[in-house]
Amino acid sequence: MTTRSIKVENRLGLHARPSALLVRTATKYRSDFFIEHWGERVNGKSIMGVMMLAAEYGSELLLIANGADETYLLDEVTELFKSKFNED
Amino acid sequence: MKEITVREFFNARKKDLALSLITELETLNKKITSPYVNRPGLALSGYLEVFSAGRIQIFGETEVRYLQTLRDDVLFSRIKDLFMMDVPCIIISKGLSLPPVIEHLANDMQVAILSSRLSTVHLVQHLIRYLQDVFALEKTIHATLVDVFGLGILLTGKSGIGKSECALDLVHRGHSLVGDDLITLKFIDDHLIGRSGREFGHFMEIRGVGFVNVEKMFGIERVRRSKTIDLQIELMPWQENLDYERIGLSNTYAEHMGVKIPIIYLPVSPGKSVSVIVEVAAMNMILKNVGYDAAEDFNRRVQEEIRKKSMLKKSVEIQPGTNDNPIDKG
Repeated sequence: MTTRSIKVENRLGLHARPSALLVRTATKYRSDFFIEHWGERVNGKSIMGVMMLAAEYGSELLLIANGADETYLLDEVTELFKSKFNED
Repeated sequence: MKEITVREFFNARKKDLALSLITELETLNKKITSPYVNRPGLALSGYLEVFSAGRIQIFGETEVRYLQTLRDDVLFSRIKDLFMMDVPCIIISKGLSLPPVIEHLANDMQVAILSSRLSTVHLVQHLIRYLQDVFALEKTIHATLVDVFGLGILLTGKSGIGKSECALDLVHRGHSLVGDDLITLKFIDDHLIGRSGREFGHFMEIRGVGFVNVEKMFGIERVRRSKTIDLQIELMPWQENLDYERIGLSNTYAEHMGVKIPIIYLPVSPGKSVSVIVEVAAMNMILKNVGYDAAEDFNRRVQEEIRKKSMLKKSVEIQPGTNDNPIDKG
């Protein structure tokens, strides 16, 4: 299991579009993937779960991946956050 | 360009348009080449520079009364000029009668004269509806067409994916079948109208059972002759890494003869009740049509929550002397 903490850097936070991108990216991998926000943990491959986090700009998230390709998954997901989901 | 003979037209519409043939049977051989009709008013006064010859010519009360005012020799030459333009046929409305000279001339020049008991307005409306249908662009595709809650849903996908089974399930749940396997799409009035590609009745092939007659089995109320297509659902085998729509904010369309139809790609896997999902997709579309979009609504609520949190954070940050941010602690 690998964990990584990350900051939401796009202004609008994790609304529909970034969430969809995040879920779509994570779904490509076989590892289980979870996101924690304020102690709440959701399945990172479920669009409903990710959107319900309503993670705002500047908030800290903990990404948790578990499986054979966990680091690849986290790398690509981290990249998405860093690129602000191509939004700002 | 499509065309039909006057005979085909006469035989098909005789009853609905209350038509009778005034001229001899041999006059029925000309071809109709236009989906429109023409009132030849001005042409009868001798002006033929602009004239839609390929169309059915309608003689209403205006034309008939005008012709009655003409001297015999003038009448003869005007009608001859008109027939020289190679008009397919003439239909007289309201059962009005024409001077006998016209009938003789029509027989000589092989132009059919039909008489209808309908009023001119009704006649023209009927004709346009019929001709539009006859001359419409059309194509036949491999699909199943069902009516779900009043929406025409075209089910597509590879052979054996379960289109017929899904349709059967929908019929069983109270919806109706338009056609299975072979569907003819017609482009009419900016819409796509689908109907069964064959006039054999509402049969279906269900694997393992064979042919079933849906009309006999479920009753006449569960079948439709034709239906405007509102939504296409493409059934496809579940693929691990394919991008299926997850939210419903982006709209994808399929195009048939220039008409854009919203399309849903629906992954099918064992144990999944496709017909229920088709029903849900139909209801969701009806809600969208009346102005409620669930995806937008949900996203709006999430954005509202995000905004609230951001505001709260800001207000905490600007309070003097509070280094200890309760939110960041989580």
